Amino acid sequence: MKEETSNNSRRKFLKSFGISVGAAGVVSSFSLIGAAKAAAKKPAEMVNLLTQDGQLVQVDKNQLRPTVTEPLDELQKRGREGIPGKSFVMVIDLSKCRNARKCMAACQNHHQLRADQHHINVLQMQDAEHTAPYFMPKPCQHCDNPPCTKVCPVDATFKRQDGIVLIDNERCIGCRFCIAACPYSARIFQWTEPKDSEKYKDLTYNIEANVPQKKGTVSKCLFSADRLREDKLPSCVSSCPNGVYYFGDRNEDAVTNGTTGETVRFSKLIEENAGYTLMEELGTKPRVYYLPPKNRAFEFNGDLLNEENLH
Amino acid sequence: MKNTIKNIAALFLIFIFSGSLANAQGWSVPSSAKKKQNPYEATAKNISSGKKIYNLNCKSCHGDPTMANMLPLAPVAPTDLGSQNFLVQSSDGEIYYKVNKGQGAMPTFEKTLSDEDKWMVITFLRSFDKNKKERQQVAEIKNPEVTDVKLELKVNEAEKNMSAKLSGVTKTGKRVGLQGIEMSFLVKRSFGFLDVSGEDPYTNEKGDVQIQFPKDLPGDREGQVNMLVKVTDDAFYGKLEEARVVTLGVPTDPVNPLDERAMWGTRANAPIWIIVTFVGGVVGIWSVIFLVLFQMIKLPKLASKQD
Repeated sequence: MKEETSNNSRRKFLKSFGISVGAAGVVSSFSLIGAAKAAAKKPAEMVNLLTQDGQLVQVDKNQLRPTVTEPLDELQKRGREGIPGKSFVMVIDLSKCRNARKCMAACQNHHQLRADQHHINVLQMQDAEHTAPYFMPKPCQHCDNPPCTKVCPVDATFKRQDGIVLIDNERCIGCRFCIAACPYSARIFQWTEPKDSEKYKDLTYNIEANVPQKKGTVSKCLFSADRLREDKLPSCVSSCPNGVYYFGDRNEDAVTNGTTGETVRFSKLIEENAGYTLMEELGTKPRVYYLPPKNRAFEFNGDLLNEENLH
Repeated sequence: MKNTIKNIAALFLIFIFSGSLANAQGWSVPSSAKKKQNPYEATAKNISSGKKIYNLNCKSCHGDPTMANMLPLAPVAPTDLGSQNFLVQSSDGEIYYKVNKGQGAMPTFEKTLSDEDKWMVITFLRSFDKNKKERQQVAEIKNPEVTDVKLELKVNEAEKNMSAKLSGVTKTGKRVGLQGIEMSFLVKRSFGFLDVSGEDPYTNEKGDVQIQFPKDLPGDREGQVNMLVKVTDDAFYGKLEEARVVTLGVPTDPVNPLDERAMWGTRANAPIWIIVTFVGGVVGIWSVIFLVLFQMIKLPKLASKQD
């Protein structure tokens, strides 16, 4: 008796399931046909378009398709792998920085950040009471022994073969362990709806630029990994007006200045100018090198009296 | 009456405007500094090295001399340093002083550029001065007028040096070497060209120039690098360059940091001992829990047996 009822209920369930799936199929196919018919029937509305060779042509509006963007899977895959054979490094010459903040603006523009969110920030530094103050741009250090990737519980943040530390906002659960682990405070959290989220909501997520930004996830400097793929310098590097940044490949032992375009030997630059890394005592092995603010190109014009500016 | 008020207002505005301009450009150069003379001659060599230094340090704001394509900075845009106005108004010493001291957005180059470099830049700028053009021509090395200029490269891989020969055909149909022309030996890197020309990359009287390739510059796995050799200044014989792959670099195997297991790696790259400890821990704890549960299930049976 018992068995019968259970059989009955299973049969019933299968029946109703079949009917509903079938119905859904029919409805959806109807709607598809309907859409296709509508597309075909609608009186052709023509749009004027400029072709690549400069000709003005008219195209039926129904024929228009959005430009083909790389599918998410492909972007995620190549973003995780990185660029083989490269080992990117940045050198920041503190003697040339005068707080122009063009790097910050270019970065915020590239990564769709608000003015108060920083992937790179120019800090006013004074190491001790009687030492000379200076400006210090501070991006993510892309450590070779990154503390942030160790603590991520979902493999969302990771290091690639070219040395760049990235974060996958599709995986990030917003636990912010990485923010706590990073000794350089390089990471930010999207507490609210990101800037222009309405405008970019249809954009395919690009792991190499963290755009569009996602609410409730962590975001950070990426060395403009999407630009590196096209052999372009990172946004901050190429927008600096004062020649502060050098960027290049450590495997090639060469770094290029973003302002002057001059390419120099990385090892020589570090050796001749006593280059150093931030907080090397932590063993994080940063990939961002600093040249001390010696023989400055500009006088320090910061506001040290205002304690809020001090770091 | 209205007109006079307007006129006065206009005059006043002009006065303010000119005042602010004068303030912004208010370089006060001491007269002793103005009298300083350029110790270097206006030879083609000095001008071309001045051009190099100019392009690296000045061009990003001032643009190309005489082209007026400077950066549009507010309140005062950088001066076109090749304009006749500027060159007539400022003496060599004055430019030298301004380069050294800097003002506002103009950085000081007192320590970032050597004295020689600064004078080279001034020599280069002075080459745009129409009043002094004749004097320069005398100092230049003269090559005969030639056609069909050729650039030939020779690479000695054993001794890691390269030589280039620049030659042209004279009117009499003879091929001669071109002297005193600066050549650039550039190595392609990810974001630009590394200059390995060395100190003196000028052709000799036979049109030859030889450079020593750096002994420690990394190449690819086979030690190959992409070289570009060219005449530095296009103004002489037009664009003349040759690209070549040479095996002069140090063979370098790029290290993939993901090849080894590390604490910072993702799940796939985690160290074995972490995986073993973690899995062991999970298995151990659950087995203890299950063991206790089974024992508890056994309890009533034991009790009934004893009865």
